[in-house]
Amino acid sequence: MSTARLPWIIKYRPKHVDEVVNQDKAKQALLEWLKSWDQGAPGKKSVLLHGPPGCGKTSLVEAVARTLGYELFEMNASDSRRKEDIERLAKVASQTSGLRARRKVILLDEVDGLDPRADLGGVEAILEVIRNTRNPIVMTANNPYREHLKPLRDVSEVIAMDRLRETDVVTVLKRICQAEKLQCDQEALKEIAKRSEGDLRSAINDLEAAAAFDGRVTLETVKAISTYRNRVYAPWEALRKIFSSKYVFQAREAITSTDLTPDEMKTWINEHIPSWYDNPEEAWRAYEALSRADQYFGRIVKTQNWDLLSYALDMMGPGVAFARKTYKGKFVAFKMPERIKLLAETRKSREYREALAEHLAKRLLTSKAAIKSDVIPYLRIIFTSNPKYAAGIAKAYGLTEELVTWLAGPRAKEVLSYFKKPARKSKST
Amino acid sequence: MFYLSELLWAEKYRPKSLDEVINQKEIVERLRKFVSEKNVPHMLFAGPPGTGKTTVAHALAHDLYGENYRQYMLELNASDERKIEVIRTKVKEFARSKIAGEVPFKIVLLDEADNMTADAQQALRRLMELYSANTRFILTANYPSKIIEPIQSRCAVFRFTALKKEDVVSRLNYICENEKVKCHVKALETIYDVSEGDMRRAINILQAAAAVGEVTEETVFKVVGLAHPKEVREMLQLALSGSFVEARKKLRDLMIAYGLSGLDIVKQIHREIFSTEIKLPEELKVMIADYIGEIQFRLVEGADDEIQLNAFLARLALVGRKIKV
Repeated sequence: MSTARLPWIIKYRPKHVDEVVNQDKAKQALLEWLKSWDQGAPGKKSVLLHGPPGCGKTSLVEAVARTLGYELFEMNASDSRRKEDIERLAKVASQTSGLRARRKVILLDEVDGLDPRADLGGVEAILEVIRNTRNPIVMTANNPYREHLKPLRDVSEVIAMDRLRETDVVTVLKRICQAEKLQCDQEALKEIAKRSEGDLRSAINDLEAAAAFDGRVTLETVKAISTYRNRVYAPWEALRKIFSSKYVFQAREAITSTDLTPDEMKTWINEHIPSWYDNPEEAWRAYEALSRADQYFGRIVKTQNWDLLSYALDMMGPGVAFARKTYKGKFVAFKMPERIKLLAETRKSREYREALAEHLAKRLLTSKAAIKSDVIPYLRIIFTSNPKYAAGIAKAYGLTEELVTWLAGPRAKEVLSYFKKPARKSKST
Repeated sequence: MFYLSELLWAEKYRPKSLDEVINQKEIVERLRKFVSEKNVPHMLFAGPPGTGKTTVAHALAHDLYGENYRQYMLELNASDERKIEVIRTKVKEFARSKIAGEVPFKIVLLDEADNMTADAQQALRRLMELYSANTRFILTANYPSKIIEPIQSRCAVFRFTALKKEDVVSRLNYICENEKVKCHVKALETIYDVSEGDMRRAINILQAAAAVGEVTEETVFKVVGLAHPKEVREMLQLALSGSFVEARKKLRDLMIAYGLSGLDIVKQIHREIFSTEIKLPEELKVMIADYIGEIQFRLVEGADDEIQLNAFLARLALVGRKIKV
């Protein structure tokens, strides 16, 4: 079969891990994890591989699979909403690799493409497959921090890939030029690489287009045919752009350059103001700006006046960026916000408190507010200092095990052990 | 091994009937008369928290209707049901059904009525008129001045006074004897002091202290200290010493471990800054009070708890450094 008409992005996919440029850390992690399957299924049976578009996620998985002699079963994650697809997937995943059959690795591409509303069952279905799989599963995502992906993050080994550097992109382009016996100017390749902003896929496409245009690749042809793309950035890249922006428009653009919702963006900035600003005055000014943005959001929700969004974004991006007194270029690793991890916990805790207040207000003839401020604090003391007595109270008020656990905190086990034994009425002894 | 089913003492030792109410003597006297005549006007019970307003209302209903009095009484709490529409629907529903007993009316108990807006109170006034043929309203309020004139003029107003020290101590003592709990008089007096005459709080403190061990002055202080998470104070101190990141971590602990909302924390911060435990220049206390007020306003407007409180802590980190505590 002739390969002449294959698009270059397919034709020049790496066949072996050694051909994958850069990404050493991700390469290493993925290889090790796959090899660990030789001793049976490891603790985490899936990997969530994430990185910006065109950094080579799918290519890496293909190359690694081929290098280790795995057969690749590939599926786009958004197909998983269809029942027959998910059944097919589950079937493949549950097969054992017998002596004759080749070992399989399952690739679920673009799990962040799952729409949290439309594909409600999608994440659930994938989780179920992971739970039962006998074969390694690799998922890819541009942005793994969407809230609805949390369950997948939790069960998976998370491996990050970086945006490629310009020199990496140039290296690959040069390799292709040689293979195609194409005359390529160094300047032209650099320009393509620069415009690609680390997206190797778009760079190869541009190179192919430029070559088709003229038979040789010069700076002029490149400038003529390729344009800067509207890019989607990973959260940490957007943060870097905001904090180190020199002009208002850069900070403003960066705010909307991710696929985070404004609310999620707010959380990222909230987390990282102190990571960037170590001067207390700058930190406070930045928080004050974010707080203003937050107030606009509050008003938008209350009044449904979406015109205000623009002001909220002004305060969130430029407001936070220009809280600085002096400009400092520096490198900060922007980690995933604690708060996103803790969100569910905070919510749960609040719900328990509310449920308990509701429950006790009727018995104690007072408001929920009074229960929260005057009763629950003392209950907690009883529950954390006298498990047996606490169990008696829990019984008298018919508290659920969940509420008992919440109230007793570190001593939940002790309270519950009494709680589960039969109680005797207090007057009967 | 068995364990005993334990009631909260605030419920267990609540007077069921007017005869068991030991203080507010004049009020109880007049209420007894209403009971014997089987005729009750609209009433407003005003006074500080924990002085027995709600308890007395229940005791009155108990004496009027007997053990099953709660089917003749609609209990609403204005701080939980702020919407007048909700109150209206419930009252309407309740007033519609006929009464079988010999008392020709039912009772609507509206607790913490001073938490209603003036507009809602106007609507309430109309409700009181509309259903006065077969219902009587008992309103309770901490601050009677926050109840609008037209309602006050329709009600017999009863002013509950703060409980006297000896009354509270003797009640606590009675409970201790009954529960066979060892307690020191000095400890009971301390409970009175820290509960500011609020009987409910006093009993809660006593029960928590008894659960911890012998009721001594020491256990009482320990319990009171534990009830108000010390993390709030630690958080403020961390922020003031410039450790913003640590302070923020404490804030998250408070929200998760205690389930506190931003507003809860704001109110506690307000208490803390004027406490003697935190050493601050006087002018700074005023400035912080003003700022925390601003934060509360923002929260009420719908802003995010954590972001607003982070802004507050960042400000503390800044001023703390400048003033050098």
